[in-house]
Amino acid sequence: MEATPATPAVRLDGVSKRYADSYAVRDVHLDIEAGEFFSLLGPSGCGKTTSLRMIGGFTDPTEGAVLLGGEDVTALPPNKRNVNTVFQSYALFDHLSIADNIAFGLKRKGVDKAEIRRRVGEMLELVQLSGQSRRKPGTLSGGQRQRVALARALVNRPAVLLLDEPLAALDLKLRRQMQVELKQIQREVGITFVFVTHDQDEALTMSDRVAVMNEGRVEQCGTPEDVYEHPASRFVASFMGTSNLMAGTYRDGAVLLDEGPALSVGHRDDVGEGTSVSVSVRPEKIWLSDFEPGMEVLRGVIRETVYSGPTTTYLIELAPGVTLSVLEQNTARARMEDRWIGGETVEFGWRPEHCLVLS
Amino acid sequence: MTLLRTPAPTDATPAEPGRTRLRRRRGRADRKPRVALAVTALFFALLYLPIAVVVLFSFNTIKSLTVFDGFGLRWYRAFLHDEVLINSLGTSLKISLVAMAGSVLLGTALALGLVRCRTRLGSVAGLIMLVPLITPEIVTGVASMLLFKGLGVTLSTGTVMISEITFSISYVTVILRSRVAALNPEVEEAAMDLGATRWQAVRLVTLPALLPAVLACSVLIFALVFDDFVLAYFTTGVDPQPLSVRIYSAIRFGVQPTINAVGTLMLAGSIGLIALALFIPRLFGRRGGLDLLSGK
Repeated sequence: MEATPATPAVRLDGVSKRYADSYAVRDVHLDIEAGEFFSLLGPSGCGKTTSLRMIGGFTDPTEGAVLLGGEDVTALPPNKRNVNTVFQSYALFDHLSIADNIAFGLKRKGVDKAEIRRRVGEMLELVQLSGQSRRKPGTLSGGQRQRVALARALVNRPAVLLLDEPLAALDLKLRRQMQVELKQIQREVGITFVFVTHDQDEALTMSDRVAVMNEGRVEQCGTPEDVYEHPASRFVASFMGTSNLMAGTYRDGAVLLDEGPALSVGHRDDVGEGTSVSVSVRPEKIWLSDFEPGMEVLRGVIRETVYSGPTTTYLIELAPGVTLSVLEQNTARARMEDRWIGGETVEFGWRPEHCLVLS
Repeated sequence: MTLLRTPAPTDATPAEPGRTRLRRRRGRADRKPRVALAVTALFFALLYLPIAVVVLFSFNTIKSLTVFDGFGLRWYRAFLHDEVLINSLGTSLKISLVAMAGSVLLGTALALGLVRCRTRLGSVAGLIMLVPLITPEIVTGVASMLLFKGLGVTLSTGTVMISEITFSISYVTVILRSRVAALNPEVEEAAMDLGATRWQAVRLVTLPALLPAVLACSVLIFALVFDDFVLAYFTTGVDPQPLSVRIYSAIRFGVQPTINAVGTLMLAGSIGLIALALFIPRLFGRRGGLDLLSGK
């Protein structure tokens, strides 16, 4: 379990999975550090679950190698790998009691009975199911089943815990609660978590690092702040929340929008003159008043005002077909009559560093 | 979920709307549907009268098959002392047990294989598997006999067993295949994830999940094989003969009331098996405390 800082807990080394003539996963390189909460994030069909299954040993990569703690396990079956999985369907054994479900892995390993009883008891406590040990999975609620699945995997003290959208089947409130619990448990046991999700909020709030996947490839891998604030591609920007993408052409430190004005973006070495690019500004980075010197300030027409308690979202039309979403805290303009309504022309602006150029 | 599960109790559901509709139709509902009742009565009479006659005359005190003289256990006693019939009963039980075990074992394996194997060969095998179900049994019987003769195998209890197993595999597979397909594949993966080999995963997780269906299926196959006549007739040796064949031979030399006693016993046995098959899934019900396979 102990891996030196230099040895990643999991390494995917140029891993691909090809089905017939299409790739589910294509040339993925990832290093996941020991003790990390690492998320694989992407839309359905992006290859995140396939990647997870290749780490678990349920799917054989067509090319590349899977390394666990520096050891090549590409050819090993799931039962020979020191990883455990929490399945999306939980996959509990319905004919066994909760305690027997959790004890399953330890029994396979031939751990002695007293030790099994002790560790199962510990796990039941960790997931707050003490006193329920004799019940069958069929009598549990979704959240409880989820906890049993987690305990059944964690009790084996794997080097890496794989979680395949474990919260997808829960309702929103329980989901939020389990997000916090999962994170706490991970901190408590110190095991590397590899977490598959399609929910960007979930990935941002829980992870130490996130790999955003699309069409079988990793588009970007970094801290939640990295991928949100500095998306490496148009896909990452649009997948991670609302991003106000505007198409245009880069020329001499500015982007001339296909529809609308030219936006000053500063000189970019990495973008060639005349290339088609997208410009992105996050809704919460757009100001509606108290502009600072040096800001890009534009005018537009309010098309929609959406009040949602702590914040208000304005849809502002910058030019025909170019509508920006602007998110404002209801602090300065707390009263209804202070807020703008549809049809009014407003000024809005952003700091130049918040205007991203994506090719 | 399970093949023979009884329908869930629905007493509470349609109460209100149902009652009001009934009240509105009171006028029509009050008249008894005489024709329907008569047809139903006739149907049950035709179905059960012959059986009732057999049961009744099995308790007759005299040898007559037309005059009932009084209740007695004479023919049951006669059956118990009829070594040939007792021998045949034993043979039939042996054949049924072996055929049940063999066909359930092979049929379950085939069901697992057919569901997991998604190749073209797999679907072809799935179709071929259905052929015995639609082949007239007499064809199967004659064909089996010719095969054994051609191979120079002497017909015996063993040849009946082999034929019955072959014939019953399809039933088992058809019944269990949908059950296997309904299993969550992640459950078996979870077992392997937790350190089980592929075979251990099947044994510790998949088979227990299938157990209620497998048991119900076993009872069904036992009953089917036990009272099978056609296949047994063509593939059995001279001695000992399965009960159904024995009864048929006996009748050719005049009907003995002993046969009535045997028939009644078989009927009681069948009813018992059907009750068992219906009851098995309940043992595994959600609330059921019976923990037949927890490994303790």
